Amino acid sequence: MSIQVSNVSKHFGPFAAVDKVSLEVGSGELVALLGPSGSGKTTLLRMIAGLELPDSGTIVLSGEDVAGRSVQQRAVGFVFQHYALFRHMTLFENVAFGLRVRRRELRPSDADIRSRVMRLLEMVQLDRLAGRYPHQLSGGQRQRVALARALAIEPKVLLLDEPFGALDARVRKELRRWLRRLHDEIHLTSVFVTHDQEEALEVADRIAVFNKGRIEQVGAPDEVYDHPATAFVHQFLGHTNRFQGVVSRGVANISGTHVDAHEHADVAHAPAVVYVRPHDLDIVAEASNASFAATLNHTVKLGPVVRLELTRRDGGEPVEVELPRPKFAQLDLVPGGLVHLKPRRARVFIDERNSTGPARGTIDDREVPRVTPAPAPHPDAQPVVPARAA
Amino acid sequence: MSVLKRPHSVLPGFGLALGYTLLYLTLIVLIPLSAAFIKTFSLTWESFWHTVTAPRVLASLRLSFGASLLAAAINAVFGLIVAWVLVRYRFPGRRLVDAVVDLPFALPTAVAGIALSAIYATSGWLGGPLESLGIKVAYTPLGVLMALIFVGLPFIVRTIQPVLEDMEHEFEEAARSLGATSWQVFSRVIFPTVLPALLTGFTLAFARGLGEYGSVIFIAGNMPMVSEITPLIIVTKLEQFDYAGATAVAVVMLLGSFALLFAVNALQWWMRHRRGEERS
Repeated sequence: MSIQVSNVSKHFGPFAAVDKVSLEVGSGELVALLGPSGSGKTTLLRMIAGLELPDSGTIVLSGEDVAGRSVQQRAVGFVFQHYALFRHMTLFENVAFGLRVRRRELRPSDADIRSRVMRLLEMVQLDRLAGRYPHQLSGGQRQRVALARALAIEPKVLLLDEPFGALDARVRKELRRWLRRLHDEIHLTSVFVTHDQEEALEVADRIAVFNKGRIEQVGAPDEVYDHPATAFVHQFLGHTNRFQGVVSRGVANISGTHVDAHEHADVAHAPAVVYVRPHDLDIVAEASNASFAATLNHTVKLGPVVRLELTRRDGGEPVEVELPRPKFAQLDLVPGGLVHLKPRRARVFIDERNSTGPARGTIDDREVPRVTPAPAPHPDAQPVVPARAA
Repeated sequence: MSVLKRPHSVLPGFGLALGYTLLYLTLIVLIPLSAAFIKTFSLTWESFWHTVTAPRVLASLRLSFGASLLAAAINAVFGLIVAWVLVRYRFPGRRLVDAVVDLPFALPTAVAGIALSAIYATSGWLGGPLESLGIKVAYTPLGVLMALIFVGLPFIVRTIQPVLEDMEHEFEEAARSLGATSWQVFSRVIFPTVLPALLTGFTLAFARGLGEYGSVIFIAGNMPMVSEITPLIIVTKLEQFDYAGATAVAVVMLLGSFALLFAVNALQWWMRHRRGEERS
């Protein structure tokens, strides 16, 4: 069962929560709506379910416009962030709820309900706790019950609103793998909302990245991660360092440091923002026009990788670098020391609006005023030589 | 040293606090109540039985218990609606309406009684039109009921309100997404959630109604066998210096209301127990 959303908008007062969004979800696909809070992803999900009505645009579920259909009639399974399990009912009754409220002629027999509910509880591995009440369960178990309850009505699509948002990190990881396996088994068209890029990258077939009520990019996880369409997508997916510079005939210049930007070869001169992921910065022995100098402030060991926090010598901006642990050990770095950093891979975006948030993957929705004019273009801009081992 | 095993508490002075609680309850509640029992024991069994089974006393007990239960039940229904409207809807003057709910708490009961009888008397604003419809409120059991509904309303509204406020919209949305109709959402999700609070409110309103005196006696007319409430019987006996007779009736009333309150508490305990909540 497919979902087609075309040109859907929703305003709350003067605030455009969802602004002319179009999205197609193919039958059997698992799509993540990813974005910061307030970016409109949950509102879109709720409109697909019928819990919210769009101001304009159409929503088509398996070929049928659902504009006039209430939540009850849409046959969607909806899973809430905080589970929304009925506290006064056992797990069994929670899962059976959707079957018991059916009109008499559509309602399965008691024996039928029993076997269907037990099958679902088995599927979520909670059949032995059928007689328990929700408050006697852990968060992960509750969310599995909520999922079983949503599946009990045999929905055409499954919608999940931040399904793992209220769980701790370990359970969250476990549960999302479990959800992926489950989806591979039952192939139910599913859409889930998340603000956690790792979750979206790991679970989804495709990701739609939301920002300020619009979709910035839709694509497979690898595609959005490796080829972000916009500056926002780049900085939202994973940690990143952000540099201000200018781009001129295929080369970006960050106050003297040259970075390849061949995709902008036809741009004569424009302010640009350069993003470099922490693992795409190399520490080199000698300075060149492709590197810049920085002071090491601080190192943090995070399991197999070491994160270095540095400050640029010329601009004073903070920079983050991630190295594998053995490599870090070879380099023999000391806090306060001078290092030369060379971007191995960078994404350069023409800075049209200057409205993207701060670097390093933090989210900031505020409208940032136009920043200081970019430094003068380097007179002899040259393409960057590929990095050699230091 | 203490032989009581108890879990470690963040607040010190368990012994002191418990001792204080028992002393306070004894002074404020138990001693006055036991005085009523002790005074009653000055009667012989026959004269006690004779006093409490007098037709006039029995009629008043029927009226007091019956009207209090009925008023609490009516308040349970309409108080639930009032609480629902106050919690779920935003309308101009909502805060004012919210404050009006508390008036029966704040008003001296005699003032309420006089106001009610002025309105429901044959010459009053409502009494006249109702009379022409053949409904007589003042000086009848119906008047007693009206007064008890009046004083009991805030108990229901104020106990349900916080529960409704805490109840997330998500529960209703979840139920609707599973196909439940509005009535099913109410009867299967909302009502069971507020039921414990509703029972508490019912109990409070009932207890208040049973002991209510000031607001009832003006509108009731106090006709023996018809509209005379038990508290009035007790006061009448006191005025006739029949202290033992007064306490005898009081003891019967006390036992009756204790039995009812105990039953409601047991029901609540059973509901919680069934949900396995007593351990949390």
